[in-house]
Amino acid sequence: MESKGIFSLLGDNLSQFWQYTGVANVSFGHILMIVIGLVFIYLAIKKEWEPMLLVPIGFGIIVGNIPFFHGLSIGIYEQGSVLNILYQGVLQGWYPPLIFLGIGAMTDFSALISNPKLLLIGAAAQLGIFGAYAIALLLGFSAAEAGAIGIIGGADGPTAIFLSSRLAPDLVGAIAVSAYSYMALVPVIQPPVMKLLTSNKERLIRMKPPRAVSQNEKRIFPIVGFLLTAFIVPSGLPLLGMLFFGNLLKESGVTRRLAETARGPLIDVITILIGLTVGASTQADKFLQVRSIYIFVLGALSFVIATFGGVLFVKFLNLFLKDGNKINPLIGNAGVSAVPDSARVSHQVGMEYDKTNYLLMHAMGPNVAGVIGSAVAAGVLLGFLT
Amino acid sequence: MRINEFLVTNTDDYEDDFGHKHGWIELFNTSYGAVGIGGCYLTNDPANLKKYVIPKGDATTKIGPRQYTIFWADNMPTRGTYHLNFTLEESSEIILVASDGRTIIDRIKIPHEQIDTNVTYGRITDGEGSIDGSGEGWGIMERTTPKTSNITAEREPAHVVVKRMDPFGIIMAVTAMSVVFCALVLLYLSFKYMGKNAIRKAKKKLESDSPNSPATGNVSDQEESAEQLAAIAMALDLYFRELEVHDFEYTVLTRNETPKTYSPWSSKIYTLRETPVKISKR
Repeated sequence: MESKGIFSLLGDNLSQFWQYTGVANVSFGHILMIVIGLVFIYLAIKKEWEPMLLVPIGFGIIVGNIPFFHGLSIGIYEQGSVLNILYQGVLQGWYPPLIFLGIGAMTDFSALISNPKLLLIGAAAQLGIFGAYAIALLLGFSAAEAGAIGIIGGADGPTAIFLSSRLAPDLVGAIAVSAYSYMALVPVIQPPVMKLLTSNKERLIRMKPPRAVSQNEKRIFPIVGFLLTAFIVPSGLPLLGMLFFGNLLKESGVTRRLAETARGPLIDVITILIGLTVGASTQADKFLQVRSIYIFVLGALSFVIATFGGVLFVKFLNLFLKDGNKINPLIGNAGVSAVPDSARVSHQVGMEYDKTNYLLMHAMGPNVAGVIGSAVAAGVLLGFLT
Repeated sequence: MRINEFLVTNTDDYEDDFGHKHGWIELFNTSYGAVGIGGCYLTNDPANLKKYVIPKGDATTKIGPRQYTIFWADNMPTRGTYHLNFTLEESSEIILVASDGRTIIDRIKIPHEQIDTNVTYGRITDGEGSIDGSGEGWGIMERTTPKTSNITAEREPAHVVVKRMDPFGIIMAVTAMSVVFCALVLLYLSFKYMGKNAIRKAKKKLESDSPNSPATGNVSDQEESAEQLAAIAMALDLYFRELEVHDFEYTVLTRNETPKTYSPWSSKIYTLRETPVKISKR
């Protein structure tokens, strides 16, 4: 009797243990998501596509898709779990502004200050956001969801996470993964559009070298930039405030240690946390839906529309500029704010046609303008839709 | 702070902490910051503005942003901070007075003839309307709403309204793009003129420097073109690279081992002659 009781107890315990294992709870969705996570890690290591983001996101996807028995406070969606606590930074929207602080502290706005008309390209490229917004509405998404999806076209991961956490918290995972994936794929998505819209003659336009910018101008930029943009779109305050504050730390010349912390350890810590938790939020049961496929398709479209907007706007602007002052339309794509990848794409495509035409420094202008533009656009969407 | 809603005769409505039903006055903090009302006065008598002083020491008298609080008009001030020393049945007016005892913050006349039992009179939109007692913006409430918004109709969320009004997103696209452009055009104009100013100043400095000190080599920022800067950067880069290659540190020469097993130094492409081409016989 005694031995039977022990075996029965052992059997019960083993059976319970089995129920707790990942093997007992696994589904096809989990396996698929783990494979996607592995692909992300592969792309990051082998192809070096945005490794700082794709490695944490890829591993996060694996972490979030290890099957488990629900109710043990383990999963990212289970209140009080470690992952859930870390995920609050995404849901409450305080990781993205901290990343913007670091971006501000590492961004040199000289190219923009020396040729401020490049700012307008950063505005034109936000067309991708509203193009994707309109298509998302047609596909049946609510206006709030459409706004959150549209912001993928801003090509700015932190902004996309910030806005989607406010407008459509359920879609944060899909939107963030989509935004970061397409940012990594900028060298693949943009060149065909750029080549399609430009003539050979336009691609060979040489731009005037930018003038040297004084330190005082660099110091004034974040203050004036913040005041002008924040007064127009106060809802973009968390992002714009942090971006320009970080830049002031960099340019003030008296807060070197703070600037170094913001662009170094702080942004690294937040990048790790945001990448891992966003990845982990793609739990198969939440992520593998038809809506996620739509989001990925809309994300790609928004990048294409944004590139269209930027390049066509430069061509339009050139109609009013004198010879010698014309802008090479190949830098129009850099208006999407995937810093610095889209500027690098401008440069590389330009080099294909003229090996001595260095567009990188010119493309950095619209590129950083795109960061400001997408933050302003996010503020507008937030103001309209909440 | 505003008087937001009041109930004169209460027989079947909100109860106080003692389980009694009395008339009540709702105050609303219209600001986006907390407001302390301790020390302010509530009265029903324009000749006695200091009739009921709201106790200063009570922490609950700090009203949060856009929050509401209720005072019981039960003429029982011994029951606590929120119990007044008058009732509304006997009053013709409610006046909220600042802590100086003179400044009237808000006042409203009680239209007894319009108000039934258990029906409240309040501002149509929270905090909005007259503050001079005229009753503009006030009306009979469909439901009593103590400690909450007077707007009882279910509101559609903003995004639902936006989708209904603009199903294709065109208005949103045009408006939002205009706002983005406005913000960046303002920035553009500011920095365009700031840039011009900077160039003008630099030129002036250059002109004033050059005749007096031609030999000092005082060169302004404007003189250095991008090519010059690139050349300087390249020279510095080469210099530092050279230091790296020789690995000269603290006068000790060391040798850096490269982790690559196959480097240009060991490359056969660079060291061997071309592979002879074999000419095939016909």
